Amino acid sequence: MGTLRPILLVEDNPADVELTLAALKKTKLANDIIVARDGVEALDFIFSEGQHANRDTGHPAVVLLDLKLPKVDGLEVLERVKRHPRLRAIPIVMLTSSREESDIVRSYQFGVNSFVVKPVEFSAFFNAIRDLGVFWAVLNEPPPGDI
Amino acid sequence: MREASRPDLLEACAQEPIRIPGGVQPHGALLVLRPDDLAVVQASANAADILGFPVAAERTPRIADLPLGGGTLLDDIARWSAGQDGFYLKAQAIADRMFEVSAHRTPQGLLVEFEPACDLGDPSETFYPVLRDFLEESEALPDTLRLAEAVAARVRRLTGFNRVMIYRFDEDWNGTVLAEDGDGALPSYLDLRFPASDIPAQARDLYRLNRLRIIPTCDYAPVPLVPELSPLDGAPLDLSFAALRSVSPVHLEYMRNMGTAASMSISLMVSGKLWGLISCHHAQARRVGAQVRAACDFLGRMVAQQIDARERGAEVTERLRLHQVQTELVAHLARAPAFQAGLVERAVQWLDIVNAQGAAVLTEGTVLTAGITPSAEQVAELAEWLRTQKIEQAFATDCLSRHWPKGLDMADVASGILAVPISRLHASFIIWFRPEVIRTVTWGGDPATAKQQDAAGRLHPRRSFESWKEQVRHRSTPWREAELLSAADFRVAVVNFVLQRAEERAQLSEELQRSNKELEAFSYSISHDLRAPFRHIAGYAQLLAEEEPGLKPLSHHYLEGISRAALSAGQLVDDLLHFSQLGRASLKTSRIDMTKVMEEVRHSLDATETGRVIEWQVGALPPCWGDPSLVRQALFNLVENAVKYTRGCDPTRIRVEGREEGDLVVYTVTDNGIGFDMAYGGKLFQVFQRLHRPEDFEGTGIGLALTKRIIDRHGGSVQAKGAVGQGATFSFSLPRHAKGKGRGDT
Repeated sequence: MGTLRPILLVEDNPADVELTLAALKKTKLANDIIVARDGVEALDFIFSEGQHANRDTGHPAVVLLDLKLPKVDGLEVLERVKRHPRLRAIPIVMLTSSREESDIVRSYQFGVNSFVVKPVEFSAFFNAIRDLGVFWAVLNEPPPGDI
Repeated sequence: MREASRPDLLEACAQEPIRIPGGVQPHGALLVLRPDDLAVVQASANAADILGFPVAAERTPRIADLPLGGGTLLDDIARWSAGQDGFYLKAQAIADRMFEVSAHRTPQGLLVEFEPACDLGDPSETFYPVLRDFLEESEALPDTLRLAEAVAARVRRLTGFNRVMIYRFDEDWNGTVLAEDGDGALPSYLDLRFPASDIPAQARDLYRLNRLRIIPTCDYAPVPLVPELSPLDGAPLDLSFAALRSVSPVHLEYMRNMGTAASMSISLMVSGKLWGLISCHHAQARRVGAQVRAACDFLGRMVAQQIDARERGAEVTERLRLHQVQTELVAHLARAPAFQAGLVERAVQWLDIVNAQGAAVLTEGTVLTAGITPSAEQVAELAEWLRTQKIEQAFATDCLSRHWPKGLDMADVASGILAVPISRLHASFIIWFRPEVIRTVTWGGDPATAKQQDAAGRLHPRRSFESWKEQVRHRSTPWREAELLSAADFRVAVVNFVLQRAEERAQLSEELQRSNKELEAFSYSISHDLRAPFRHIAGYAQLLAEEEPGLKPLSHHYLEGISRAALSAGQLVDDLLHFSQLGRASLKTSRIDMTKVMEEVRHSLDATETGRVIEWQVGALPPCWGDPSLVRQALFNLVENAVKYTRGCDPTRIRVEGREEGDLVVYTVTDNGIGFDMAYGGKLFQVFQRLHRPEDFEGTGIGLALTKRIIDRHGGSVQAKGAVGQGATFSFSLPRHAKGKGRGDT
């Protein structure tokens, strides 16, 4: 196995960043966790543009994407990535507070890999993050070659 | 002459060519002159007798060859013929006798009539004071009736007839004697009414053209014309404008029946319409000279103008009055929450604006009435008929049954109706009603006598009277022009109200949509922004507990409290969202296998309620029709409740079953748990209504409300039965089959 791919966490709420990082830390994953605080930053990272133009890490093992984001929102990030012929293979998990059906429907229309509503209860939240991390960063077999 | 024995004489009378009777009355003579050379082309057979010298029309002598007053008349007629005046009238001595010579032009030649003069003295002394007095007096007369009385008296003074009547036509040409002046020699006909058939249409036409007719005696033999047909066009001579024109034998019979030997009538034309007649009768033969007749004609014209002015004035006054009533009513309606109710509140004005006795307003199937009206069902039926009539502005009649046979059933209160449509889309009308007015009818003269004399079946005044009586049944007083205008005005006002209300409604629904959108946005932000902080609180509390394992037990308890509070608040938000989404989301209906749904529900509950023994009694569960995920939720909530409220019961028994009832399937969930007090049964399904303390039984209290909402949206109903400590039974119904477009299914 080569170098571990990073996990890209796209989240604007500092509390959510903190809690998610805490949860990921508890799962003892070895992957780097990169935090993007808005949609633009997330796209820059994924497309290796702007401040991330010269990043050397590979593409993320999974993108944990919040739905509501400043500047460019989660749905748009999702859409732009999933429209890209090669980058669309990057797994994207919507990780959000929203229970709105329309958000879920549109996310799936754009090709989201999974949609997770953040549970209120911390242990449930922790379990969700852990399961996601383990599944996408460890169990899931990425497409061959560096996409 | 007509055949006297024809029983349908009156009908035949209406067909009679009265303009071309083929003869003249015998008291004067008629000559027809060719316009270019004034040659005599036709003459009445009595011309030689009347004028005192032979007139041989067949040899077409020039009028110049006739000894007509030494050439003066010839010159006069030649001058008149070349000029523009329509009529010629002059007293002239011929063969030592005085004649009144009159002439008028026709396409068949110049018609010159000779009547022996009646001795009445100097016209300027006789007529002028009468006309002048009338003119002065009439100014002060307040209404048509007084005017009619005055003119009757003047005409009698001028003519010396025994009886002078002012006769007025109604809109169907029936007549009423409005005023009368007489010397008692003939009976009074005042206030008597006569059927339209008394004066047939072609006679009325002639009355319009030629305003004055005289019959000096009803016992005359018409004098034929020689030759019979006009040499100028080969047709019978048109005597429409001839004073000597012979009249219908039926009319003469009529006069004889009335005991009238002589008659004269003058047409009263008001606003170009035949309004009535000045009708003069005499017991004996009586002739009135052309000069007097001209004076009477003049009087007739004067009074017609006065009547016109009076009636227009009365119409304007009435229109103003109605307008004022209407203005007040409309102002009231503008303030009323609904114009229909506003109308009923101001019933008096509502009726007044068209002088009706009853009124109804129909909108979208509701009928509101005021005053004397047919029943609501009858009004609705009438409106249904009106709808088929495609009324643009208004429909008015004083005899509804003539247009709509069913109207006979309501003739007593609604012989007259005036209806205006107030909506293009719906059968919405305002209708005013007038009751039947059975007119008292008295025949002028003695119809029984008339019939006795009628041995040959010549005339049937009695019969015409009967047919008229039939005609005036089921009729109301007619609608006046001012009333029709008032109704039309009012319609516009009401249509404006209707439009305004429709606009307001549209605006309201827009606002509703906007507020729905706002609610949606609100629930969205609740979903996203309110859940997050609760999650954070719970998360940090948990992290803190883990980071600080050495906390004092009390501090630890506090942290748990924070977690629990945040959790239940988060749960509340989730439930609330779910509930609000249920109102908005559409139903995706299909056939539901309830047995399978119940299996799933049991399975998911078994997973959470480990370590409990529950005796499940699942009976037959017939399939139903609905949104599978929602129905599953509804059943789940009830079964979950049953599981929850049987906690601590040993044994726990939960029975679930269903049965078909008509188009519905009714499902019941029965438990042997703690039950509830039926006194609170009504509150059970309210949002966040809980009957137990939270530390006894968890939950936000939204489950049953959610279930009720789901069942409501499917068109079913929910019920609960129970008693404290004796368990509870919840039942709900759902449709068995797919319906058309069920309510809420949008």
